[in-house]
Amino acid sequence: MMDVIVIGAGPAGLAGAIASANSGLKVIVIDEFIKPGGRLIGQLHQERSGEWWNGIEESERLHQEAITLSVDIRCGVSVYNLEKDGDLWNVHTSIGTITVPFVLIATGAAEYPIPLPGWTLPGVMSIGAAQVMTNVHRVQVGKKGIIVGANILAFAILNELQLAGIHVDRIVLPEKGPLSGKAGEPEEVMKSLLHAAHLAPSPLLRIGSRFMKNDWFRKTGMKFFPKNGVKVNGTPLLLRKAAIEVIGMKQVEGVRVADTDANGTIIPGTETVYEADFVCIAGGLYPLAELAAVAGCPFQFIHELGGHVPHHSETMETPLEGLFVAGNITGIESGKIAIAQGTTAGYSIAKHAGKCGAVIDEQLNQAIQNVRLIRMQAAIQFNPDIESGRRKMSELWEKLYEKPANLHSTQKLG
Amino acid sequence: MNSNEAIVVCRCEEVTYGQLRTTAEEHQCTAREIKLRTRAGMGFCGGRTCRIPLDRIIEDVLPNVSQGDIPLKYQPPIRPVSFGTVGEKND
Ligand SMILES: Cc1cc2nc3c(=O)[nH]c(=O)nc-3n(C[C@H](O)[C@H](O)[C@H](O)COP(=O)(O)OP(=O)(O)OC[C@H]3O[C@@H](n4cnc5c(N)ncnc54)[C@H](O)[C@@H]3O)c2cc1C
Repeated sequence: MMDVIVIGAGPAGLAGAIASANSGLKVIVIDEFIKPGGRLIGQLHQERSGEWWNGIEESERLHQEAITLSVDIRCGVSVYNLEKDGDLWNVHTSIGTITVPFVLIATGAAEYPIPLPGWTLPGVMSIGAAQVMTNVHRVQVGKKGIIVGANILAFAILNELQLAGIHVDRIVLPEKGPLSGKAGEPEEVMKSLLHAAHLAPSPLLRIGSRFMKNDWFRKTGMKFFPKNGVKVNGTPLLLRKAAIEVIGMKQVEGVRVADTDANGTIIPGTETVYEADFVCIAGGLYPLAELAAVAGCPFQFIHELGGHVPHHSETMETPLEGLFVAGNITGIESGKIAIAQGTTAGYSIAKHAGKCGAVIDEQLNQAIQNVRLIRMQAAIQFNPDIESGRRKMSELWEKLYEKPANLHSTQKLG
Repeated sequence: MNSNEAIVVCRCEEVTYGQLRTTAEEHQCTAREIKLRTRAGMGFCGGRTCRIPLDRIIEDVLPNVSQGDIPLKYQPPIRPVSFGTVGEKND
């Protein structure tokens, strides 16, 4: 019998499998995609140090390390249910049920759209789909594109499309309304982009230094935002234009936009059409927590983490015995952090599986420190208040699940 | 605003923004009820695509949703599977 099943062969899952296998456990990894690596295989960007983060190489490195440790990796297999059976977990997959004492859910994140009229036309895609087609499948998504939505993910992928020689003509905002939320309010968008200003040395976010660093800009805010936008890596970012509709007969032919005021309210009579043959909607990411939910894990909505996340500790345990989580399912962050969290979960599982002694304690401790360190140095941070989100979860964990242990130790003292 | 009524929010079941808003307003209902009334989120993708827009529509009509619960409950199977697979007959 296997000791551990890891669901998801992304950076978190592979790193978790490696740490567990390294501690002598028998590990199987399941992923529904055709190859391992998860979202890592779409990533390509430059770190603040100037070094390139090449996701394909990183995932190959993790994959090889796992294979060397005899981890059994199965791709093209979906997990559709997960249930507790006594001390064990039954993991239901498209190739049958696997029974194990320990489960690591590392299913990552999903994208959400901002629906607008015409978004079902061929040629409209999520920004992540453009990334996968470009960097994974090497398919050119189009000749002239428009991105709807201005966030960190959009800028990261804009850069990747440009590196591949694909022309992105403009970035505009979605129309303000219940479906777009803050993403349709120019002031709010600018605020969140300014939060990323400390990343400005990174070529990834070289958002016209005039715009990002200039105090005058911060003070005057959106009022004097140039009509023609500011350039992000050469592509105009138009915070005062909203996409009203994607137009086209059989496929995308363009986007109808209108000018807005600083709050995002449309100014009547200002409509124009920008021609394009593809449109990317950059809504955002949310933790893909379906399996933790069907397993019965309790959840908390934490905005900074990207939505509803399963309750978990810093050692990546959930309140359910034998169930662990790592990576973007615990909050939206970059690939490097997912690796560090996976390593933590892998050692944590080894410890629960009875691997005891100073070595495992030291490895686990080191892994936790590493997550914190990498978070501090991260080149891509999807939410500037991530630290506060992480703190909320660890306080919640302490309050709900650590009380008995504390009582126990004070009793001992007394 | 009128063209927005026709936006397809749930693509699997082709449910529009207008239908969802009207249902939420008329019945002042939970995510689950809106799902059962309109079939939004019940299609092939299991609601992975429209879940957040659905939450946002409900939040807009009925603010102060509980922070602890996922508004639209997940149900197994979370991926489309054949009866054969569920019955563990894999040929
Ligand atoms: C579209 C997109 C673009 C991103 N771009 C960047 C970027 O440029 N830079 C960056 O730092 N971060 C980016 N991220 C964030 C990214 O999520 C993290 O960098 C990192 O990949 C998270 O690792 P993970 O292991 O948690 O999940 P993932 O890398 O997402 O891996 C999860 C794996 O689980 C599998 N899986 C999910 N559910 C099941 C199931 N039921 N059964 C079987 N397998 C399943 C998936 O197929 C996937 O391979 C992006 C995320 C998305 C969604």
